[in-house]
Amino acid sequence: MVLEQEIPRFADWIGPALLAFLLTAGIVILAIGLIAWLVQALVCGPLEAGDRVYRGVLTGLADLRATSPGRVWALARLAIQEAVRRNVLVVLAVFAVVVLFAGWFLDPTNVDPGRLYLGFMLGATNLLVCTVTLILAVFSLPADIKSKAIQTVTTKPVRTAEIVLGRFLGFALVGTGLLAVMGLAGWAFVVRSVNHTHELPAAAVQEVRDEDGNVAGFEGRTSPGRGHRHFVALDAEGRGVAETFHGHRHRITPRGSGADRSYDVGPPEGILEARRPLRGPLRFLDREGRPAEKGISVGAEWAYRQYIEGGTGAAAVWTFAGLRAEAYPEGLPLEMTIRVFRTYKGTITEGIHGTIQLRNPVNQLRSEAFPIVAREFTIDEFWIPRKLGTVLADGTVRAADLFTDFVADGRVEVWLQCLEPAQYYGVAQADFYLRAGEGSFAGNYAKGCLGAWFSMLIVTALGVMLSTFLSAPVALVAALSVLLIGQFREFIARLFASQVTGDATIAPGGGPIESLYRIVTQTSITLELDPTPAVQAMKLADTVLLAPMRVLAGLFPSLSALGTSDFVAGGFDIPGDLLAAHGLETLAYVAAFCVAGAFCLRAREVAS
Amino acid sequence: MPATPSPTAGDVVVETRNLAKVYRDFWGRSKKAALKPLDLEIRRGEIFGLLGPNGSGKTTTLKLLLGLIFPTSGEAFVFGRPATDVAKNERIGYLPEESYLYKFLDAEETLDFYGRLFGMPPEERARRAAALIEMVGLSRDRKRQLREYSKGMTRRIGVAQALINDPELVLLDEPTSGLDPIGTREMKDLIIDLKRRGKTVIMCSHLLADVEDVCDRIAVLHQGELKELGRVQDLLTVTGVTQFRAKGLSPEACEEVRAVLARHGASDIEVGHPTTTLEDLFLEVVRDTEARPGRRARNSAATTGPAGS
Repeated sequence: MVLEQEIPRFADWIGPALLAFLLTAGIVILAIGLIAWLVQALVCGPLEAGDRVYRGVLTGLADLRATSPGRVWALARLAIQEAVRRNVLVVLAVFAVVVLFAGWFLDPTNVDPGRLYLGFMLGATNLLVCTVTLILAVFSLPADIKSKAIQTVTTKPVRTAEIVLGRFLGFALVGTGLLAVMGLAGWAFVVRSVNHTHELPAAAVQEVRDEDGNVAGFEGRTSPGRGHRHFVALDAEGRGVAETFHGHRHRITPRGSGADRSYDVGPPEGILEARRPLRGPLRFLDREGRPAEKGISVGAEWAYRQYIEGGTGAAAVWTFAGLRAEAYPEGLPLEMTIRVFRTYKGTITEGIHGTIQLRNPVNQLRSEAFPIVAREFTIDEFWIPRKLGTVLADGTVRAADLFTDFVADGRVEVWLQCLEPAQYYGVAQADFYLRAGEGSFAGNYAKGCLGAWFSMLIVTALGVMLSTFLSAPVALVAALSVLLIGQFREFIARLFASQVTGDATIAPGGGPIESLYRIVTQTSITLELDPTPAVQAMKLADTVLLAPMRVLAGLFPSLSALGTSDFVAGGFDIPGDLLAAHGLETLAYVAAFCVAGAFCLRAREVAS
Repeated sequence: MPATPSPTAGDVVVETRNLAKVYRDFWGRSKKAALKPLDLEIRRGEIFGLLGPNGSGKTTTLKLLLGLIFPTSGEAFVFGRPATDVAKNERIGYLPEESYLYKFLDAEETLDFYGRLFGMPPEERARRAAALIEMVGLSRDRKRQLREYSKGMTRRIGVAQALINDPELVLLDEPTSGLDPIGTREMKDLIIDLKRRGKTVIMCSHLLADVEDVCDRIAVLHQGELKELGRVQDLLTVTGVTQFRAKGLSPEACEEVRAVLARHGASDIEVGHPTTTLEDLFLEVVRDTEARPGRRARNSAATTGPAGS
């Protein structure tokens, strides 16, 4: 699973996030206040304008304080009744069609069916729910204003904040109901779709005898199913686990004995999982074995993975911390996804060979090297046993204990090297981890749905806010534009950080002016510009331009950043820290949009 | 800061000072002066009519009083509070021109919804909704969605929603619009009943008879400007002309009276039989028909001449 940024602890995240929120909110409020004053000043002069803006803000805040939960609930009920009586539940029929099509067209023989089905169902659910609530949100209030029904509401003791909150709450509840139904249906669909078994008739296994001629076990292959079959190696009693293939395995138990023996192949294990990984920082060594700032770039524009050269001293080194013998009594369960860059084709059906080695970070004691074969695009499992060998200075190997000899202060280094010359391993920090525990898949799926719920809440609040001052079609387009711009939020933040720190690796190519210069002069973004006075001036202008862009970017929610379906589909437990951060971010956007919507509605005439 | 209303006007429910509204286009250019500076005082317990042709500024005045639109200049106060203060709406009932209601709700749901907006407890909401539905004659249609209602029925439920909070001030925009003569009469009776119960009513209409029948005072607006303001009786009284009414006079007695009047210098003497209004005639026919189904109404028969005899 791709994880471009490390997930911060909630306690570390909250401080800077709160500061950024307050800063953005403060700047935006000041800017809006200034614009409102300028507009009023044109009409009634600067002093009167100041008084009007001041009174408007005061009465607006008083209205917010006087918000009545009872009236909000009344308006929310109205929104729900409106949605239901306008046949919003038809979307469930659309969802049923989506499920049907998924059943027909998704490939059950896919190498990773869990990822395929989960990714599709969570994506479709998120898209449908967000679309429905957005449409409800943007069309409702303008329809009321057009039909003038709003006049019978605003002539009651109803505050604009209550109208906005009621609309938001109502449509959010509708969306929640839809999400619950779709989530449950999606769950049932995925579980049924990935579930399968194989046949293992007695004739398909052969006896394996030891040197004394006794039956040591059995081996064979299961029948084909879902486009694959498994090798099986059973013990003398006929029990065992089929070899992992397409990301899963089956437990096999014998039935009967002698000539009547047959085998039961259990359901797939390992498809629907919620791994809890323990990740550690990654560093690189160059071909000479010296510390390097980063690995080798093989020319891929996306620099997520760095590469190490095979057959040299180059290595990727992860340091895992917090290890205790009690937590891993049998050894360390490593999992990895290693990319390969081949400078020559070689035997394409075979993986590229390499080694894994443990090192004590304090005394640099090395373990024996464990051979591995990098199989691309799958998660390879590797077990480092508790008892292993260590290589002494004279090259001899002696027995050692994982925790006694290689773990120091709870830390251990894991070295990955590629053995084949002129071939490269591509790695990223998140690609290599210890499988520290297991979460409940059902719980993780629910957390994935919670991520979709956050998106739905933001989209609904955004739609309601825009509908307070725009007509329905314009509000819809505006909402979609806001969400689209939000997708660039992280990029703008990186760009600004790059400009301020002068670190071009964060976002190569520079700001808008520098980018334009590079386009015109056809200069590659990886090429450092000579620091002439003109270039310095250009960079300074970019920084000045990017500062307000950075603030503005904070106003645009990034739904992709909130999405957690990749975790669920990839079989990783969604960290609680991430979910808490997303929850708080959602709350901030919803609150900001609702307050803005209340002020916008208050500032407009609902009758003409 | 806005000026506060005059402290001497304890009974003044609505007050406007130089209240004006100019509608502008997107660029702020003046499109139409819907209301020119208006000064009004409406007192507690009176029925006040805003009279004028279409586009004269009646509805604009109501919307300004309700805070639905903002004045271009001047001020409006309702119960001593600025018209834009939401708190004043606790004591107000408003019937818009077309009873703008939610068509997907039925009558009970409609009144329940508006009752909730006033923070009424559930029992009171239910009791009040039932009473109002009964009052406006929609008991049999209480479960039908408003989209299925006729215009008259929509008007009736509109009245019910305006009265859900038992308001002190009722603003009615063209209250008899869309109603048949019976509905019109019931509406006028309702307005008079509201006055009897101490409510203040402001209504705007271009139907002169309706205004004349129920209003204590009227303001006549034309092209956004106040043209007349005063008590209906005062405004309609024709000075310099004297009218007598009597029953049972013979033609000879009439001639004698005419001669007496002429002798006293009266001019333009008219003697004749007064006519009833078409509304009274229609209501009498309907009542008679309801009282004796299947039979032609007496008055109708009497006035249709030979064909009816």
